[in-house]
Amino acid sequence: MATASSSLDRDPETSRSRRSLRFLLGGLSRSWMFLAFFVGFFIVWEISIDLFGIPKYILPKPSEIAVKSWADADRLLYYTWITGLEAVLGYIIAILLAVPLGLAIAFSRVMRQTVYPFFVSLEMTPKIAFAPLFISWLGFGLLPKIIIVILVCFFPIVLNAILAFTSLAEELERFVRSTGAGPTRAFFKVRLPAALPQCFVGFKYAAINATVGATIAEFIGSDEGLGFYIQIVTGNMRPDLAFAGIFLLTLLGLALFGIVSVVERLAIPWHISVRRKT
Amino acid sequence: MSASIDIDGLTKVFGSGPEAVHAFGPSSLHIGKGEFVSLLGPSGCGKSTLMLIIAGLLEPTSGEVRVDEKTVTGPLTDIGIMFQDNTLVPWRTVWGNVALQLELRGENPSRHRQRIESLLASVKLDGFADRHPYELSGGMQQRAAFCQAMVHDPDTLLFDEPLGKLDAMTRESIRTDLQTLWLSKRPTVVFVTHSIEEAVQLSSKVCLITPRPGRIDRVIDIDLPYPRDLDVKSGADFVGHVREIQAIFHGYGVL
Repeated sequence: MATASSSLDRDPETSRSRRSLRFLLGGLSRSWMFLAFFVGFFIVWEISIDLFGIPKYILPKPSEIAVKSWADADRLLYYTWITGLEAVLGYIIAILLAVPLGLAIAFSRVMRQTVYPFFVSLEMTPKIAFAPLFISWLGFGLLPKIIIVILVCFFPIVLNAILAFTSLAEELERFVRSTGAGPTRAFFKVRLPAALPQCFVGFKYAAINATVGATIAEFIGSDEGLGFYIQIVTGNMRPDLAFAGIFLLTLLGLALFGIVSVVERLAIPWHISVRRKT
Repeated sequence: MSASIDIDGLTKVFGSGPEAVHAFGPSSLHIGKGEFVSLLGPSGCGKSTLMLIIAGLLEPTSGEVRVDEKTVTGPLTDIGIMFQDNTLVPWRTVWGNVALQLELRGENPSRHRQRIESLLASVKLDGFADRHPYELSGGMQQRAAFCQAMVHDPDTLLFDEPLGKLDAMTRESIRTDLQTLWLSKRPTVVFVTHSIEEAVQLSSKVCLITPRPGRIDRVIDIDLPYPRDLDVKSGADFVGHVREIQAIFHGYGVL
Protein backbone atom coordinates (compact mmCIF):
# COMPACT_ATOMS: atom_id res chain seq x y z
CA MET A 1 0.00 0.00 0.00
CA ALA A 2 2.80 2.39 0.91
CA THR A 3 4.50 2.03 -2.45
CA ALA A 4 1.22 2.43 -4.27
CA SER A 5 0.48 5.75 -2.60
CA SER A 6 3.99 7.12 -3.11
CA SER A 7 3.96 6.25 -6.80
CA LEU A 8 0.58 7.98 -6.90
CA ASP A 9 2.27 11.16 -5.72
CA ARG A 10 4.91 10.97 -8.39
CA ASP A 11 2.89 9.96 -11.39
CA PRO A 12 -0.84 9.74 -10.88
CA GLU A 13 -1.61 8.76 -14.49
CA THR A 14 0.45 5.58 -14.76
CA SER A 15 -0.48 4.56 -11.26
CA ARG A 16 -4.16 4.86 -12.01
CA SER A 17 -3.87 2.83 -15.19
CA ARG A 18 -1.80 0.23 -13.37
CA ARG A 19 -4.35 0.04 -10.62
CA SER A 20 -7.23 -0.34 -13.02
CA LEU A 21 -5.33 -3.08 -14.88
CA ARG A 22 -4.86 -4.85 -11.57
CA PHE A 23 -8.56 -4.38 -10.93
CA LEU A 24 -9.45 -6.00 -14.25
CA LEU A 25 -7.15 -8.95 -13.71
CA GLY A 26 -8.41 -9.38 -10.16
CA GLY A 27 -6.78 -12.27 -8.33
CA LEU A 28 -4.50 -13.15 -11.27
CA SER A 29 -2.19 -10.19 -10.67
CA ARG A 30 -1.36 -11.46 -7.20
CA SER A 31 -1.04 -15.10 -8.14
CA TRP A 32 2.71 -15.71 -7.82
CA MET A 33 2.02 -18.46 -5.27
CA PHE A 34 -0.23 -20.17 -7.75
CA LEU A 35 2.41 -19.80 -10.45
CA ALA A 36 5.06 -21.31 -8.19
CA PHE A 37 2.76 -24.24 -7.47
CA PHE A 38 2.13 -24.66 -11.19
CA VAL A 39 5.83 -24.77 -12.04
CA GLY A 40 6.47 -27.12 -9.13
CA PHE A 41 3.78 -29.46 -10.40
CA PHE A 42 5.52 -29.82 -13.79
CA ILE A 43 8.92 -30.32 -12.17
CA VAL A 44 7.57 -33.15 -10.01
CA TRP A 45 5.95 -34.67 -13.10
CA GLU A 46 9.20 -34.45 -15.07
CA ILE A 47 11.23 -36.11 -12.31
CA SER A 48 8.65 -38.79 -11.51
CA ILE A 49 8.69 -40.24 -15.06
CA ASP A 50 12.40 -41.18 -14.75
CA LEU A 51 12.11 -42.04 -11.07
CA PHE A 52 9.31 -44.60 -11.54
CA GLY A 53 10.38 -45.67 -15.04
CA ILE A 54 7.04 -44.89 -16.68
CA PRO A 55 7.15 -45.66 -20.43
CA LYS A 56 6.57 -42.64 -22.63
CA TYR A 57 3.71 -44.22 -24.59
CA ILE A 58 1.79 -44.22 -21.28
CA LEU A 59 2.78 -40.85 -19.83
CA PRO A 60 5.39 -38.60 -21.49
CA LYS A 61 7.51 -35.99 -19.73
CA PRO A 62 6.38 -32.35 -19.91
CA SER A 63 9.64 -31.45 -21.66
CA GLU A 64 9.03 -34.08 -24.31
CA ILE A 65 5.43 -32.91 -24.77
CA ALA A 66 6.76 -29.39 -25.36
CA VAL A 67 9.37 -30.47 -27.91
CA LYS A 68 7.12 -32.89 -29.84
CA SER A 69 4.16 -30.53 -29.96
CA TRP A 70 6.44 -27.73 -31.22
CA ALA A 71 7.13 -29.91 -34.25
CA ASP A 72 3.39 -30.14 -34.89
CA ALA A 73 2.68 -26.51 -33.97
CA ASP A 74 1.06 -25.51 -37.26
CA ARG A 75 -1.61 -28.16 -37.05
CA LEU A 76 -2.16 -27.61 -33.31
CA LEU A 77 -2.60 -23.85 -33.72
CA TYR A 78 -4.98 -24.24 -36.64
CA TYR A 79 -7.06 -26.74 -34.70
CA THR A 80 -7.07 -24.46 -31.66
CA TRP A 81 -8.47 -21.73 -33.92
CA ILE A 82 -11.17 -24.11 -35.20
CA THR A 83 -12.23 -25.33 -31.75
CA GLY A 84 -12.04 -21.80 -30.39
CA LEU A 85 -14.22 -20.54 -33.22
CA GLU A 86 -16.86 -23.21 -32.51
CA ALA A 87 -16.80 -22.47 -28.78
CA VAL A 88 -16.90 -18.67 -29.08
CA LEU A 89 -19.53 -18.53 -31.83
CA GLY A 90 -21.73 -21.04 -30.03
CA TYR A 91 -21.28 -19.16 -26.77
CA ILE A 92 -22.18 -15.78 -28.23
CA ILE A 93 -25.21 -17.14 -30.06
CA ALA A 94 -26.30 -18.90 -26.86
CA ILE A 95 -26.19 -15.58 -24.98
CA LEU A 96 -28.08 -13.79 -27.75
CA LEU A 97 -30.81 -16.44 -27.66
CA ALA A 98 -30.93 -17.21 -23.96
CA VAL A 99 -31.03 -13.72 -22.41
CA PRO A 100 -34.11 -12.53 -24.33
CA LEU A 101 -35.81 -15.85 -23.61
CA GLY A 102 -34.95 -15.56 -19.92
CA LEU A 103 -36.41 -12.04 -19.95
CA ALA A 104 -39.58 -13.21 -21.64
CA ILE A 105 -40.02 -16.02 -19.14
CA ALA A 106 -39.32 -13.71 -16.20
CA PHE A 107 -41.84 -11.09 -17.26
CA SER A 108 -44.61 -13.21 -18.79
CA ARG A 109 -46.81 -15.37 -16.66
CA VAL A 110 -47.88 -17.46 -19.65
CA MET A 111 -44.26 -18.18 -20.53
CA ARG A 112 -43.49 -19.02 -16.91
CA GLN A 113 -46.25 -21.60 -16.86
CA THR A 114 -45.52 -23.18 -20.25
CA VAL A 115 -41.99 -22.76 -21.53
CA TYR A 116 -40.26 -22.55 -18.16
CA PRO A 117 -41.21 -26.01 -16.79
CA PHE A 118 -40.35 -27.44 -20.21
CA PHE A 119 -36.85 -25.96 -19.99
CA VAL A 120 -36.38 -27.06 -16.42
CA SER A 121 -37.11 -30.66 -17.41
CA LEU A 122 -34.88 -30.32 -20.48
CA GLU A 123 -32.14 -29.15 -18.13
CA MET A 124 -32.14 -32.68 -16.69
CA THR A 125 -31.39 -34.15 -20.11
CA PRO A 126 -27.67 -34.56 -20.79
CA LYS A 127 -27.51 -32.19 -23.76
CA ILE A 128 -24.45 -33.91 -25.14
CA ALA A 129 -26.64 -36.95 -25.85
CA PHE A 130 -28.06 -34.96 -28.78
CA ALA A 131 -24.64 -34.59 -30.35
CA PRO A 132 -24.67 -37.72 -32.56
CA LEU A 133 -28.08 -36.70 -33.90
CA PHE A 134 -26.88 -33.24 -34.90
CA ILE A 135 -23.82 -34.72 -36.58
CA SER A 136 -25.99 -37.12 -38.54
CA TRP A 137 -28.43 -34.34 -39.51
CA LEU A 138 -25.90 -31.65 -40.37
CA GLY A 139 -22.69 -33.43 -41.27
CA PHE A 140 -19.07 -32.90 -40.26
CA GLY A 141 -18.79 -29.11 -40.61
CA LEU A 142 -18.75 -26.27 -38.09
CA LEU A 143 -22.52 -25.91 -37.83
CA PRO A 144 -23.35 -29.06 -35.81
CA LYS A 145 -20.50 -28.23 -33.37
CA ILE A 146 -21.75 -24.70 -32.92
CA ILE A 147 -25.26 -26.01 -32.30
CA ILE A 148 -23.96 -28.41 -29.65
CA VAL A 149 -22.03 -25.58 -27.97
CA ILE A 150 -25.20 -23.47 -28.01
CA LEU A 151 -27.06 -26.36 -26.42
CA VAL A 152 -24.64 -26.80 -23.52
CA CYS A 153 -24.31 -23.02 -22.93
CA PHE A 154 -27.96 -22.14 -23.31
CA PHE A 155 -29.46 -23.54 -20.11
CA PRO A 156 -27.23 -22.03 -17.45
CA ILE A 157 -27.73 -18.64 -19.11
CA VAL A 158 -31.52 -18.95 -19.36
CA LEU A 159 -32.00 -20.26 -15.84
CA ASN A 160 -29.76 -17.62 -14.28
CA ALA A 161 -31.36 -14.86 -16.36
CA ILE A 162 -34.81 -15.91 -15.13
CA LEU A 163 -33.57 -15.91 -11.55
CA ALA A 164 -31.87 -12.55 -12.13
CA PHE A 165 -34.94 -10.82 -13.50
CA THR A 166 -37.39 -12.23 -10.97
CA SER A 167 -35.48 -11.47 -7.78
CA LEU A 168 -35.51 -7.70 -7.50
CA ALA A 169 -35.62 -6.74 -3.80
CA GLU A 170 -39.17 -6.07 -2.65
CA GLU A 171 -38.30 -2.58 -1.39
CA LEU A 172 -36.82 -1.60 -4.76
CA GLU A 173 -39.85 -2.99 -6.56
CA ARG A 174 -42.10 -0.84 -4.35
CA PHE A 175 -39.89 2.21 -4.71
CA VAL A 176 -39.99 1.93 -8.49
CA ARG A 177 -43.78 1.58 -8.49
CA SER A 178 -44.10 4.65 -6.27
CA THR A 179 -42.30 6.74 -8.88
CA GLY A 180 -44.81 5.85 -11.57
CA ALA A 181 -41.98 4.94 -13.94
CA GLY A 182 -43.03 3.06 -17.09
CA PRO A 183 -41.76 -0.47 -17.73
CA THR A 184 -38.97 0.58 -20.12
CA ARG A 185 -37.56 3.23 -17.85
CA ALA A 186 -37.83 0.97 -14.80
CA PHE A 187 -36.07 -1.78 -16.76
CA PHE A 188 -33.04 0.22 -17.84
CA LYS A 189 -32.65 2.25 -14.65
CA VAL A 190 -33.22 -0.47 -12.09
CA ARG A 191 -34.20 -3.97 -13.21
CA LEU A 192 -31.40 -4.56 -15.72
CA PRO A 193 -28.46 -3.34 -13.61
CA ALA A 194 -29.86 -5.17 -10.59
CA ALA A 195 -30.04 -8.39 -12.63
CA LEU A 196 -26.52 -8.27 -14.08
CA PRO A 197 -24.64 -10.02 -11.26
CA GLN A 198 -26.87 -13.10 -11.43
CA CYS A 199 -26.72 -13.04 -15.25
CA PHE A 200 -22.94 -13.21 -15.08
CA VAL A 201 -23.16 -16.34 -12.94
CA GLY A 202 -24.81 -17.96 -15.95
CA PHE A 203 -22.37 -16.42 -18.45
CA LYS A 204 -19.37 -17.76 -16.55
CA TYR A 205 -20.86 -21.20 -16.08
CA ALA A 206 -21.65 -21.31 -19.80
CA ALA A 207 -18.10 -20.17 -20.68
CA ILE A 208 -16.80 -23.31 -18.99
CA ASN A 209 -19.30 -25.45 -20.87
CA ALA A 210 -18.42 -23.95 -24.25
CA THR A 211 -15.04 -25.64 -24.79
CA VAL A 212 -16.31 -28.88 -23.29
CA GLY A 213 -19.19 -28.87 -25.75
CA ALA A 214 -16.95 -28.13 -28.72
CA THR A 215 -14.48 -30.88 -27.79
CA ILE A 216 -17.11 -33.58 -27.31
CA ALA A 217 -18.82 -32.57 -30.54
CA GLU A 218 -15.50 -33.06 -32.33
CA PHE A 219 -14.99 -36.44 -30.66
CA ILE A 220 -18.26 -37.63 -32.09
CA GLY A 221 -17.77 -36.64 -35.68
CA SER A 222 -15.24 -34.28 -37.13
CA ASP A 223 -12.27 -33.90 -39.43
CA GLU A 224 -10.62 -30.96 -37.68
CA GLY A 225 -10.31 -29.28 -34.29
CA LEU A 226 -8.54 -30.20 -31.07
CA GLY A 227 -11.10 -32.86 -30.10
CA PHE A 228 -10.53 -34.56 -33.44
CA TYR A 229 -6.75 -34.21 -33.03
CA ILE A 230 -6.71 -35.78 -29.55
CA GLN A 231 -8.63 -38.79 -30.80
CA ILE A 232 -6.37 -39.31 -33.81
CA VAL A 233 -3.04 -38.96 -31.97
CA THR A 234 -4.24 -41.18 -29.11
CA GLY A 235 -5.08 -43.82 -31.71
CA ASN A 236 -1.52 -43.46 -33.03
CA MET A 237 -0.08 -44.07 -29.54
CA ARG A 238 1.10 -40.47 -29.23
CA PRO A 239 0.03 -39.40 -25.73
CA ASP A 240 2.57 -36.55 -25.94
CA LEU A 241 0.57 -34.90 -28.70
CA ALA A 242 -2.72 -35.69 -26.93
CA PHE A 243 -1.41 -33.81 -23.91
CA ALA A 244 -0.51 -30.88 -26.15
CA GLY A 245 -4.11 -30.83 -27.35
CA ILE A 246 -5.43 -31.03 -23.80
CA PHE A 247 -3.11 -28.22 -22.77
CA LEU A 248 -4.35 -25.99 -25.59
CA LEU A 249 -7.97 -26.79 -24.76
CA THR A 250 -7.27 -25.75 -21.17
CA LEU A 251 -5.74 -22.48 -22.38
CA LEU A 252 -8.74 -21.94 -24.62
CA GLY A 253 -11.15 -22.48 -21.73
CA LEU A 254 -9.12 -20.21 -19.47
CA ALA A 255 -9.01 -17.49 -22.10
CA LEU A 256 -12.76 -17.59 -22.64
CA PHE A 257 -13.46 -17.58 -18.91
CA GLY A 258 -10.90 -14.81 -18.42
CA ILE A 259 -12.51 -12.61 -21.05
CA VAL A 260 -15.93 -13.09 -19.49
CA SER A 261 -14.47 -12.26 -16.06
CA VAL A 262 -12.95 -9.04 -17.37
CA VAL A 263 -16.24 -8.07 -18.98
CA GLU A 264 -17.95 -8.81 -15.67
CA ARG A 265 -15.55 -6.51 -13.85
CA LEU A 266 -16.26 -3.74 -16.33
CA ALA A 267 -20.02 -4.28 -16.19
CA ILE A 268 -20.54 -4.59 -12.43
CA PRO A 269 -17.53 -3.06 -10.64
CA TRP A 270 -19.89 -2.17 -7.81
CA HIS A 271 -20.92 -5.74 -7.02
CA ILE A 272 -19.66 -7.30 -3.82
CA SER A 273 -18.17 -10.33 -5.61
CA VAL A 274 -16.02 -8.01 -7.74
CA ARG A 275 -15.15 -5.56 -4.96
CA ARG A 276 -13.99 -8.32 -2.60
CA LYS A 277 -11.36 -9.56 -5.03
CA THR A 278 -9.54 -6.24 -5.28
CA MET B 1 -48.15 21.27 -0.50
CA SER B 2 -49.31 18.42 1.66
CA ALA B 3 -52.07 15.88 1.49
CA SER B 4 -54.82 14.73 3.82
CA ILE B 5 -55.32 11.00 4.21
CA ASP B 6 -58.52 9.23 5.22
CA ILE B 7 -58.64 5.58 6.11
CA ASP B 8 -62.14 4.20 6.12
CA GLY B 9 -63.13 0.79 7.48
CA LEU B 10 -59.92 -0.72 6.20
CA THR B 11 -59.19 -4.44 6.57
CA LYS B 12 -56.55 -6.68 5.08
CA VAL B 13 -56.71 -10.46 5.01
CA PHE B 14 -53.91 -12.42 3.36
CA GLY B 15 -54.90 -15.68 1.70
CA SER B 16 -58.32 -17.28 1.97
CA GLY B 17 -60.15 -20.17 3.61
CA PRO B 18 -58.65 -21.79 6.70
CA GLU B 19 -55.18 -20.55 5.72
CA ALA B 20 -56.28 -16.90 5.79
CA VAL B 21 -54.34 -14.50 7.98
CA HIS B 22 -56.22 -11.49 9.27
CA ALA B 23 -53.45 -8.90 9.17
CA PHE B 24 -55.21 -5.63 9.86
CA GLY B 25 -58.41 -3.83 10.70
CA PRO B 26 -61.12 -2.90 10.52
CA SER B 27 -59.87 0.58 11.34
CA SER B 28 -60.51 4.17 10.36
CA LEU B 29 -58.32 7.21 10.74
CA HIS B 30 -58.09 10.81 9.58
CA ILE B 31 -54.70 12.35 8.95
CA GLY B 32 -54.80 16.10 8.37
CA LYS B 33 -52.60 18.07 5.97
CA GLY B 34 -49.07 18.48 7.27
CA GLU B 35 -49.51 16.15 10.23
CA PHE B 36 -46.80 13.82 11.43
CA VAL B 37 -48.58 10.61 12.38
CA SER B 38 -46.87 7.57 13.86
CA LEU B 39 -48.24 4.07 13.57
CA LEU B 40 -46.96 2.50 16.75
CA GLY B 41 -47.28 -1.14 17.63
CA PRO B 42 -45.48 -4.42 18.28
CA SER B 43 -43.89 -6.26 15.38
CA GLY B 44 -46.35 -8.26 13.30
CA CYS B 45 -49.29 -6.00 14.14
CA GLY B 46 -49.89 -5.00 10.54
CA LYS B 47 -48.60 -1.43 10.72
CA SER B 48 -46.36 -1.94 7.68
CA THR B 49 -49.30 -3.51 5.86
CA LEU B 50 -51.34 -0.40 6.60
CA MET B 51 -48.56 1.80 5.26
CA LEU B 52 -48.33 -0.20 2.03
CA ILE B 53 -52.10 0.07 1.57
CA ILE B 54 -51.91 3.85 2.05
CA ALA B 55 -49.16 3.94 -0.58
CA GLY B 56 -51.43 2.05 -2.97
CA LEU B 57 -48.87 -0.74 -3.19
CA LEU B 58 -51.19 -3.28 -1.58
CA GLU B 59 -54.92 -3.68 -2.10
CA PRO B 60 -57.16 -3.65 0.96
CA THR B 61 -59.58 -6.54 1.46
CA SER B 62 -62.33 -4.09 2.35
CA GLY B 63 -62.67 -0.41 3.06
CA GLU B 64 -60.69 2.31 1.31
CA VAL B 65 -58.01 4.93 1.58
CA ARG B 66 -58.63 8.46 0.30
CA VAL B 67 -55.86 10.95 -0.31
CA ASP B 68 -57.13 14.50 -0.69
CA GLU B 69 -60.64 13.00 -0.96
CA LYS B 70 -59.65 10.78 -3.90
CA THR B 71 -59.90 7.03 -3.44
CA VAL B 72 -56.55 5.26 -3.85
CA THR B 73 -56.77 2.62 -6.59
CA GLY B 74 -53.13 2.17 -7.59
CA PRO B 75 -49.65 3.16 -6.45
CA LEU B 76 -49.52 6.79 -5.30
CA THR B 77 -46.78 8.68 -7.08
CA ASP B 78 -46.81 11.97 -5.24
CA ILE B 79 -45.14 10.35 -2.24
CA GLY B 80 -41.70 9.71 -0.88
CA ILE B 81 -41.22 6.27 0.54
CA MET B 82 -38.59 4.81 2.82
CA PHE B 83 -38.12 1.35 4.28
CA GLN B 84 -36.04 -0.32 6.94
CA ASP B 85 -33.92 -1.77 4.12
CA ASN B 86 -33.12 1.25 2.04
CA THR B 87 -33.76 1.59 -1.67
CA LEU B 88 -30.28 2.76 -2.60
CA VAL B 89 -28.85 0.86 -5.57
CA PRO B 90 -25.20 -0.19 -5.34
CA TRP B 91 -24.27 0.79 -8.90
CA ARG B 92 -24.97 4.45 -8.30
CA THR B 93 -23.30 7.00 -6.06
CA VAL B 94 -25.17 8.88 -3.36
CA TRP B 95 -25.81 11.66 -5.87
CA GLY B 96 -26.90 9.16 -8.50
CA ASN B 97 -29.26 7.46 -6.07
CA VAL B 98 -30.98 10.72 -5.21
CA ALA B 99 -31.09 11.52 -8.92
CA LEU B 100 -32.65 8.11 -9.60
CA GLN B 101 -35.91 9.26 -8.01
CA LEU B 102 -36.04 12.15 -10.53
CA GLU B 103 -34.88 10.05 -13.49
CA LEU B 104 -37.55 7.43 -12.84
CA ARG B 105 -40.04 10.27 -12.98
CA GLY B 106 -38.70 11.35 -16.36
CA GLU B 107 -36.91 14.44 -15.09
CA ASN B 108 -33.40 15.56 -15.84
CA PRO B 109 -31.56 15.54 -12.51
CA SER B 110 -28.86 17.97 -13.63
CA ARG B 111 -31.57 20.63 -13.71
CA HIS B 112 -32.10 20.03 -10.01
CA ARG B 113 -28.43 19.98 -9.08
CA GLN B 114 -28.76 22.71 -6.48
CA ARG B 115 -31.76 21.12 -4.89
CA ILE B 116 -29.98 17.76 -4.56
CA GLU B 117 -26.89 19.40 -3.14
CA SER B 118 -28.74 21.42 -0.53
CA LEU B 119 -30.76 18.35 0.45
CA LEU B 120 -27.55 16.33 0.92
CA ALA B 121 -26.06 19.18 2.93
CA SER B 122 -29.14 19.30 5.16
CA VAL B 123 -28.44 15.74 6.33
CA LYS B 124 -24.66 16.31 6.53
CA LEU B 125 -23.86 14.29 3.42
CA ASP B 126 -22.15 17.08 1.50
CA GLY B 127 -18.77 15.71 0.52
CA PHE B 128 -20.18 12.19 0.18
CA ALA B 129 -22.08 12.74 -3.06
CA ASP B 130 -19.54 10.72 -5.07
CA ARG B 131 -19.44 7.77 -2.69
CA HIS B 132 -21.24 4.53 -3.29
CA PRO B 133 -23.72 3.30 -0.66
CA TYR B 134 -21.42 0.44 0.38
CA GLU B 135 -18.77 3.00 1.32
CA LEU B 136 -21.11 4.58 3.87
CA SER B 137 -22.19 3.64 7.38
CA GLY B 138 -25.73 2.42 7.95
CA GLY B 139 -26.74 5.81 9.31
CA MET B 140 -25.32 7.67 6.32
CA GLN B 141 -27.07 5.26 3.98
CA GLN B 142 -30.41 6.03 5.63
CA ARG B 143 -29.67 9.75 5.35
CA ALA B 144 -29.03 9.27 1.66
CA ALA B 145 -32.23 7.23 1.32
CA PHE B 146 -34.01 10.06 3.07
CA CYS B 147 -32.76 12.51 0.42
CA GLN B 148 -33.87 10.06 -2.27
CA ALA B 149 -37.37 10.01 -0.74
CA MET B 150 -37.54 13.81 -0.48
CA VAL B 151 -35.90 15.10 -3.65
CA HIS B 152 -39.09 15.38 -5.73
CA ASP B 153 -40.76 17.41 -2.98
CA PRO B 154 -43.60 14.96 -2.34
CA ASP B 155 -46.84 15.93 -0.56
CA THR B 156 -46.67 12.83 1.58
CA LEU B 157 -43.86 10.85 3.14
CA LEU B 158 -44.37 7.23 4.10
CA PHE B 159 -41.70 5.81 6.37
CA ASP B 160 -41.60 2.15 7.34
CA GLU B 161 -39.23 1.89 10.31
CA PRO B 162 -36.49 3.77 8.46
CA LEU B 163 -34.32 3.91 11.58
CA GLY B 164 -35.06 0.34 12.64
CA LYS B 165 -31.63 -1.07 11.98
CA LEU B 166 -29.56 1.80 13.34
CA ASP B 167 -27.79 2.18 16.65
CA ALA B 168 -29.32 4.41 19.33
CA MET B 169 -26.99 7.38 18.79
CA THR B 170 -27.43 7.46 15.04
CA ARG B 171 -31.19 7.15 15.45
CA GLU B 172 -31.25 10.12 17.77
CA SER B 173 -29.25 12.23 15.37
CA ILE B 174 -31.31 11.34 12.29
CA ARG B 175 -34.55 11.93 14.20
CA THR B 176 -33.44 15.49 14.82
CA ASP B 177 -32.66 16.02 11.13
CA LEU B 178 -35.98 14.49 10.16
CA GLN B 179 -37.84 16.79 12.49
CA THR B 180 -36.02 19.84 11.17
CA LEU B 181 -36.90 18.96 7.59
CA TRP B 182 -40.51 18.23 8.46
CA LEU B 183 -40.83 21.54 10.29
CA SER B 184 -39.44 23.47 7.33
CA LYS B 185 -41.55 21.81 4.60
CA ARG B 186 -44.51 20.38 6.47
CA PRO B 187 -45.34 17.40 4.30
CA THR B 188 -47.84 14.90 5.66
CA VAL B 189 -45.84 12.08 7.25
CA VAL B 190 -46.91 8.55 8.13
CA PHE B 191 -44.20 7.00 10.25
CA VAL B 192 -44.22 3.32 11.18
CA THR B 193 -42.22 2.52 14.29
CA HIS B 194 -42.13 0.30 17.33
CA SER B 195 -40.25 2.81 19.45
CA ILE B 196 -42.56 4.67 21.81
CA GLU B 197 -40.00 7.37 22.48
CA GLU B 198 -39.44 7.92 18.77
CA ALA B 199 -43.16 8.19 18.11
CA VAL B 200 -43.72 10.70 20.91
CA GLN B 201 -40.73 12.81 19.96
CA LEU B 202 -41.61 13.17 16.28
CA SER B 203 -45.37 12.96 15.99
CA SER B 204 -48.26 15.32 16.25
CA LYS B 205 -50.43 12.21 16.57
CA VAL B 206 -49.58 8.67 17.66
CA CYS B 207 -51.84 5.77 16.63
CA LEU B 208 -51.56 2.79 18.94
CA ILE B 209 -52.04 -0.48 17.12
CA THR B 210 -53.07 -3.63 18.93
CA PRO B 211 -51.28 -6.95 18.47
CA ARG B 212 -52.55 -9.30 15.77
CA PRO B 213 -54.91 -8.61 14.16
CA GLY B 214 -53.78 -4.99 14.22
CA ARG B 215 -56.39 -2.32 14.90
CA ILE B 216 -55.93 1.37 15.55
CA ASP B 217 -57.11 1.29 19.14
CA ARG B 218 -56.23 4.76 20.38
CA VAL B 219 -55.08 7.97 18.76
CA ILE B 220 -53.12 10.18 21.11
CA ASP B 221 -52.43 13.83 20.31
CA ILE B 222 -48.94 14.88 21.31
CA ASP B 223 -49.27 18.58 22.06
CA LEU B 224 -45.65 19.25 22.98
CA PRO B 225 -43.92 22.23 21.38
CA TYR B 226 -41.56 21.76 18.42
CA PRO B 227 -38.66 21.40 17.96
CA ARG B 228 -38.58 18.61 20.46
CA ASP B 229 -34.96 18.57 21.51
CA LEU B 230 -33.31 16.85 24.45
CA ASP B 231 -34.77 19.41 26.87
CA VAL B 232 -38.31 18.62 25.81
CA LYS B 233 -37.54 14.90 26.01
CA SER B 234 -36.50 15.16 29.63
CA GLY B 235 -39.53 17.25 30.55
CA ALA B 236 -42.45 15.88 32.58
CA ASP B 237 -44.96 16.17 29.69
CA PHE B 238 -42.84 14.09 27.36
CA VAL B 239 -42.19 11.43 29.97
CA GLY B 240 -45.89 11.49 30.85
CA HIS B 241 -46.87 10.65 27.25
CA VAL B 242 -44.32 7.85 27.07
CA ARG B 243 -45.58 6.38 30.38
CA GLU B 244 -49.20 6.66 29.25
CA ILE B 245 -48.47 4.76 26.07
CA GLN B 246 -46.38 2.17 27.88
CA ALA B 247 -49.31 1.57 30.22
CA ILE B 248 -51.68 1.04 27.28
CA PHE B 249 -49.36 -1.49 25.62
CA HIS B 250 -49.00 -3.18 29.00
CA GLY B 251 -52.77 -3.50 28.95
CA TYR B 252 -52.56 -5.23 25.51
CA GLY B 253 -50.19 -7.73 27.07
CA VAL B 254 -47.30 -6.51 24.92
CA LEU B 255 -45.11 -4.92 27.56
